[in-house]
Amino acid sequence: MTNPVETLLVLVLLSVLSALGSSRLPSLIKVLSFQGLVVSIVPLFMGHEMNTGSIIFTLVTFLIRAFAIPLYIYVAIRRVAIRREANPIVGYHASLLLGLVLIVAAIAVSPKFNLPMPQGRPLMLPTAVTLVVAGMFLIMSRRNAIAMVLGYMMMENGIYLVGTGFSLRAQHIVEFGILLDVLAGVMIMAVILQHIKQAFDSLDTARLTTLKE
Amino acid sequence: MSYLFLSVSIVLCGGILPFLFIRQFNRMRAVAAFFTATGCLLGLVSAVLLLAGNDQPTISVGFLSSFTLDFKADGLSAFFLMVIFLISFLAAIYGYHYLDKPERAVRIAASHLFFSLLIAAMALVVTAYNIITFLLCWEIMSLASFFLVVHDHEIEENSKAGYLYAVYSQVGALFLLAAFGIMYASTGTLDFAAAASLSEPTKILVFALAFVGFGSKAGVFPFHAWLPHAHPAAPSHISALMSGVMIKTGVYGIVRLYHLLAWHTPLFGQIVIIAGMITGILGVIYALGQQDIKRMLAYSSVENIGIILIALGLGMIGVAAGQPLIAVLGFAGGFLHVLNHSLFKSLLFMGAGMVLHQTGTRAMDQLGGLIKRMPVTGSTFLIGSLAIAGLPPFNGFVSEFLIYMGGFRGAALGKSYFVLSVLAIISLALIGGLALAAFTKVNGVVFQGEPRGVPAQNAAEHGSGMLVPMVILAAACLIVGLFPTFFMALAIRAVAALNLGYGRIPLAPFVPLTANITRAAALFLGVLVLLWILRSFCYRGKTITQAGTWGCGFTRPTARMQYTSSSFAASILNFFSTVAPLKEEHPAIKGRFPAPTHYHSQIQDIAELQITSLIVRPVIFLFDKLRWLQHGEIHMYIGYILLAIVVALVFVFQ
Repeated sequence: MTNPVETLLVLVLLSVLSALGSSRLPSLIKVLSFQGLVVSIVPLFMGHEMNTGSIIFTLVTFLIRAFAIPLYIYVAIRRVAIRREANPIVGYHASLLLGLVLIVAAIAVSPKFNLPMPQGRPLMLPTAVTLVVAGMFLIMSRRNAIAMVLGYMMMENGIYLVGTGFSLRAQHIVEFGILLDVLAGVMIMAVILQHIKQAFDSLDTARLTTLKE
Repeated sequence: MSYLFLSVSIVLCGGILPFLFIRQFNRMRAVAAFFTATGCLLGLVSAVLLLAGNDQPTISVGFLSSFTLDFKADGLSAFFLMVIFLISFLAAIYGYHYLDKPERAVRIAASHLFFSLLIAAMALVVTAYNIITFLLCWEIMSLASFFLVVHDHEIEENSKAGYLYAVYSQVGALFLLAAFGIMYASTGTLDFAAAASLSEPTKILVFALAFVGFGSKAGVFPFHAWLPHAHPAAPSHISALMSGVMIKTGVYGIVRLYHLLAWHTPLFGQIVIIAGMITGILGVIYALGQQDIKRMLAYSSVENIGIILIALGLGMIGVAAGQPLIAVLGFAGGFLHVLNHSLFKSLLFMGAGMVLHQTGTRAMDQLGGLIKRMPVTGSTFLIGSLAIAGLPPFNGFVSEFLIYMGGFRGAALGKSYFVLSVLAIISLALIGGLALAAFTKVNGVVFQGEPRGVPAQNAAEHGSGMLVPMVILAAACLIVGLFPTFFMALAIRAVAALNLGYGRIPLAPFVPLTANITRAAALFLGVLVLLWILRSFCYRGKTITQAGTWGCGFTRPTARMQYTSSSFAASILNFFSTVAPLKEEHPAIKGRFPAPTHYHSQIQDIAELQITSLIVRPVIFLFDKLRWLQHGEIHMYIGYILLAIVVALVFVFQ
């Protein structure tokens, strides 16, 4: 493990497992914050040419992903004073097992995608795929709305990783677009959460079924 | 070409700057009208210069670093640019006085923005020269006009009309996308010029798909159903622009595609001419049956699109048969009719807009006697009606006469050409007669007679900004009619851009003949006016008693004794009841002392009826069966997304 990128990616994979196993919201937020931190510093070790612009950009990403968004969600939890439990549909142990299966499946499937990923980074695409699918799984399997927002963030982390892999000119434009998306998405969700809380007196999304036509 | 882009930028300034002056309403609308009108005037000048010159300037702009936007202005583009900028110029002036409610400043500013976007998009559509550019501009045009249609969206009828328009324009755009997609798939390039290298079956497929797409914008039967809803819903200068110009971009698309495919088969001509005949005849029948003045004008646009398509179809048949004279008569007559229709249809919509603005109603049966209260509107509307009915000395006659001439030449060809040409002549005659009846009805009911309601009694002219464009348009109708040679030359320059390879066409007998007929008619009208002046001169100083129209010596006549619009049209519509079924609603009168009752009748559009029963109902039925998918469980919804991704991946990597 001489390559820092591989080390970071392994950390990301571990954070996925840890997120799938956490039952309390604050710890889930901490895991996601850690994951955002690791993911956002990956570009620094990719060996791309870094000019001032891209370093500033990476730093901004780092600050937003690792601190701004988690803090924002944390404050949102405090404000709406909800139950601190993730309230799973699929149990924690089953989730963990599924996470392991996911990682194996992602490693098996990724080479078939034929994406122009950088050479010598065998873990890059599998990690990204794992993040996206695990994020979706988190959204599907947790009833608590905050946990679903965190799942969405995990998905976005995965997409960011894919973007990092491309050494195209437009890379930063794409990544910055994603970042803005995440920021806007999280803010909108926080607002919606408050409304849900007011209307239903709970953040249990199972109650939203009454909204269907 | 650079002037063209400059003028488009000025027009766009006229859309953006009003937002800076929202608090100062008068300054806002002045800024909007000034910039838009200036830009259009500059564009008009550059279009005429382009049409007069021989060069075909091209411009390429990089777009998103992976596409290029190509623009090219040949004679065909320049001709349509001329029409677009001319009518937009007048509509911008008209809009200054038409949108005059300071309390709705924000909405009016938005309307100016979309108005300028629409003008810019139309100008770019007719100059676009690759697939991406064309579709991009086309979509901007559709969206801008959609937002203009829903200007008064709190009225339920209007928001429904906007929805209908959105559906039609998007479905039409999908057909275009399919056509251009096939083109791209077969040639591997986005360039328009590659279309000529397609194989013949592919050309037929591309043309058929694009004809549906362009036809839904132009209002070709049966894709016209949005037109009679959307045009009345928009503010009147927008209706004038949409009906006079925007639907012509569909015609432009058809001609441009025909030019690009460069395949002179009679099949295209047959498709276009048959569609034109059906569109024209049904359009005018429905126009006759309407009781809403703007709806009636919208249907009349459908009719005129039919006439234009007949002309273009004749042109294509002429090309296929190797007869330059028929080809040029058809195409040039069609292009001239594009210009003419844009002149008189915007005139009529502006007149209808004045009536609507001053009386607050579009229902013909509540109006009446307006020519005495609004003499300028009334007389210009009358001129527009005469022109649209194809009567000399006005411009409608000129183009229709040329189309007739093309038809008669075509009838001499024999075989299937004979049948189509004769049918074209017959349908043109039928359309002309029915259009005359339809416009007699509007003029008789709305402008003649006595007012049928309070709003019509208190009507008066309003706003010089609204009157001047109408007078200009009425004068233009007369000028094109009296001096057709110049405008015919412009239309022929547009035909030359089609690269049919004809040199000078001996049009000598036709154009002067047309001019002679219109001048003779003008002489006749002049004599009539002279007699009228003489008469009023002779009656000077004598007592003249004036009585109400339709007074007829009754002791107590009421305005309700007049012909209504429905009763005027009933006898003709009865004949066409198979294609225009009448829906009546009147509760029966019962008892010795019957309660008040009412009668309501409406002509139904079979295209609308059939689309409801053939497409809308099955689709709703089908999707009702899928309701169980929507159960409200967010987790399952996310599951659907995941499933879709997995299925897509399986398809890609199998």
